[in-house]
Amino acid sequence: MSKKELLSKIGLRLDGRRAHELRRIRCKLGVFTEPDGSAYMEQGLTKVLAAVYGPHQVRGSKSKAHHDNCLINCQFSMAVFSTTDRKKRPRGDRKSTELSMHLQQALESVIKTELYPWSQIDVYVEVLHADGGIYPTCVNAATLALIDAGIPIKEYVCACTASLANNDVPMVDISHQEEVMGGPTLTIAALPMSGKIVLMEMSQRFHLDHLDKVMNKALQGCKDIRQILDAAVRLHVRDIGSATGWALTSYNE
Amino acid sequence: MPIDHKRINGPEDTLPYQLFTKLNRKSLEQKYKELVQDGKRHDSRAPLEHRKIFMKTGVVSQAKGSAYIEVEKTKVMVSVFDPREIPNRQDYSLKGEIYCEFKFAPFSCEKRRLHQLDAEEKQYSQIMKKALEATVCRHEFPNFQVDIYALVLHNDGSALSAAITAAGLALSHAGVPMYDLITSATLGIQKDTILIDPTTIEERICRTPFWKEKEDNEHGLVVLSMLHTHNQVAQFYQSGSISLDKLPHLIETLEKACADTIPVIQQCLVKHVIKTIKKSSNVIEV
Amino acid sequence: MGLSEAEKTYVLHGVEENLRVDGRDREEYRPMELETDVVSHAFGSARLRLANTDVLVAVKIEVDAPFPERPYEGKLEFFVDCSFSSMITWVLNKMKPQMASSPMNSHMASKKMLAKERTIKMISMDIGLPSSSANATPNFEGRGGEVLAAEISNCLSSAYCSSLSFDLTKLCILQGKKCWKLYVDILILECGGNLFDAISIAVKVALRNTQVPRVKCIDMDGNNVEISVCHDMFDCQRLNVENAPVMVTVCKIGDKCIVDPDVAEEQCSVGSVVVAVSGNRFSTVLQTGMGSLHPLTLVDCLKMGHKVGQKLDEAVKEVLKESLRGGDVGFIK
Repeated sequence: MSKKELLSKIGLRLDGRRAHELRRIRCKLGVFTEPDGSAYMEQGLTKVLAAVYGPHQVRGSKSKAHHDNCLINCQFSMAVFSTTDRKKRPRGDRKSTELSMHLQQALESVIKTELYPWSQIDVYVEVLHADGGIYPTCVNAATLALIDAGIPIKEYVCACTASLANNDVPMVDISHQEEVMGGPTLTIAALPMSGKIVLMEMSQRFHLDHLDKVMNKALQGCKDIRQILDAAVRLHVRDIGSATGWALTSYNE
Repeated sequence: MPIDHKRINGPEDTLPYQLFTKLNRKSLEQKYKELVQDGKRHDSRAPLEHRKIFMKTGVVSQAKGSAYIEVEKTKVMVSVFDPREIPNRQDYSLKGEIYCEFKFAPFSCEKRRLHQLDAEEKQYSQIMKKALEATVCRHEFPNFQVDIYALVLHNDGSALSAAITAAGLALSHAGVPMYDLITSATLGIQKDTILIDPTTIEERICRTPFWKEKEDNEHGLVVLSMLHTHNQVAQFYQSGSISLDKLPHLIETLEKACADTIPVIQQCLVKHVIKTIKKSSNVIEV
Repeated sequence: MGLSEAEKTYVLHGVEENLRVDGRDREEYRPMELETDVVSHAFGSARLRLANTDVLVAVKIEVDAPFPERPYEGKLEFFVDCSFSSMITWVLNKMKPQMASSPMNSHMASKKMLAKERTIKMISMDIGLPSSSANATPNFEGRGGEVLAAEISNCLSSAYCSSLSFDLTKLCILQGKKCWKLYVDILILECGGNLFDAISIAVKVALRNTQVPRVKCIDMDGNNVEISVCHDMFDCQRLNVENAPVMVTVCKIGDKCIVDPDVAEEQCSVGSVVVAVSGNRFSTVLQTGMGSLHPLTLVDCLKMGHKVGQKLDEAVKEVLKESLRGGDVGFIK
């Protein structure tokens, strides 16, 4: 009886959001000076740092280098204090290896790798606080870090999660609490401008009939996130540019 | 914590029986009083007297160079292996690397040690590496690595010092170019009692402060390694709590202790040289 | 980042004149930024930015059984993770201490002179080598990071080992049965030199910031011990970090010692000593770097480290007294 529902009768979720609302997103580009590009991203309580190094010569064995495009090396790690229970190791477990690969997959789809033959780009993401939707936040943060590093990308790659409440209503951007409560989670990494899906992953099940609307919800989430990222990038560029005075002329709201 | 399944590991939750002996129940004051009685320690040494040292080279036939050191009960075996290319390294390094592994044998201490290096052993390995890096002419073997393994067979205090001293001897036995002979010494301090070359019991007493409130509750262990001819400190490590007024004095004391060990190494090396010459002259005669 | 001969000489002369490249004197630190309560999943946390060095420290608490040898004490464990900044050239220890500027070389020429000269601490070594060896880019990638992480965590545990610097008996819940175990997790976000100092301050502040739950009652049923903890979020204990050690890395450049070296200065250094100062005592001294030092230089380094360490400790305490909160903490400011 005490089991809470994902969506209350009046259409509010556990944290008071409506079904179509994202959590608060805050982000900043260029948080560090040492890496070529860096970004900090907050989605609700999930906090992620991303750093990009490169393009540079291939490190390690030279046989990994490609003659026609560049190698993208992603490392995902979670700070040992990022979860409620202390983690034993920051990386190396199955989940983080999987997330590293998925991240690489998403980024390879947007980076114009053909511009940098024989080279390598390193993307490091570190989760400081995990509260659901780790993968999407990592993708979004990595996108910002790539932009900060000035690496040519085709468009923003954004990721978002969606779920189905009460077997009927799709909801976007799932928090940890909602993940734990059960219910399916659909994760999508997409190129929101061209409407392409780069990565799609689902846990648990719902009827095939619902797939369309949940997917559309997640895609809509990606589009919303793109706008937020875009605004952040423009703001950052204006801030940086205002020092030289050129951006004031090209910036229009 | 991964467990080594190839070996038989002891049961997980065991305690050394010494914890329950009478000695362990003594009060701190009593322990301190017994530390030095009538100017003599429990093994009838003077506070600033080093234990007797025995050293020998060429104890491990597979290794390029090896040395064995016995400081009464503390026994350490060090083997040095030929320079080999640095594994898993792409770029060229202009200086040779030194790899050190300091290991307590499972039976060497009161408590059984595991086969894998624990934090203390890793720390000692690093300190040893630091000491030897300053001693070895690393530019003589660029892009190569010298492996040094120290195995403590019996730990009765000052094992790190013994290992560093023996490693210096083993390196010269292996013919690795060095700037100087290296010797090392340990010192323990509790209140105003200074003990050179402490045993395990003395080391333990020096690790904890006995008096909380009083001003002169200094305690700690100091390890110092010297390059004798150049009068250089190759490595210095102190733990515990020691004031600035005392530390310079302790360094001086340790310097002297290090210098005292030098003749033992020199003799040992001379012996080795004479032996080698004799051997080769025999061969010529034949 | 490799420095040329001329650049090294420039740095060296600056140190000699007590006016370093960035305008500091020899005993001066770069500006620091300190924040607390940055990680909400942790019991206490702090973030310190010292110029380009950025470290995040979080403290987590678990219930554990004390060591049988020390039944009255809790446990303290340090874990350092430097993977995030893995690509950065790490100059702290790996860098070849090259003092190949011209005045030095002339000293190097005679070994006898070297033995007397207590100013030159490196015993020759680099004479014939081109200076480009300095940019052999040793970095955190792979094992390099692990070694550095182990060195830092060992140094920290050694510095916190004595009960005069940090009292572990306060963390005991029930003698021989239950105690608190503090996990101090250190995340290096960016490395711009002088890691030891930055980390030690951040750890001290994070421990001060830590809220240890208050134990309401202990139920003993045979060997089973159950603990109930106060649910009130504000009713908790604070740790006493009055004497928690502050580390100072004293770096020897030419004849003089400096504190808080930047990346360029670390490359010019011939050897350094990490000094952990707790109250007015040394809790740990560890010689780092490749070279060796003359005993008298070592004492000089200790003196300088002691003086600066106490000053630094006071400065940190002063800042913590104010500790005003307001506005955003963390990376968005």
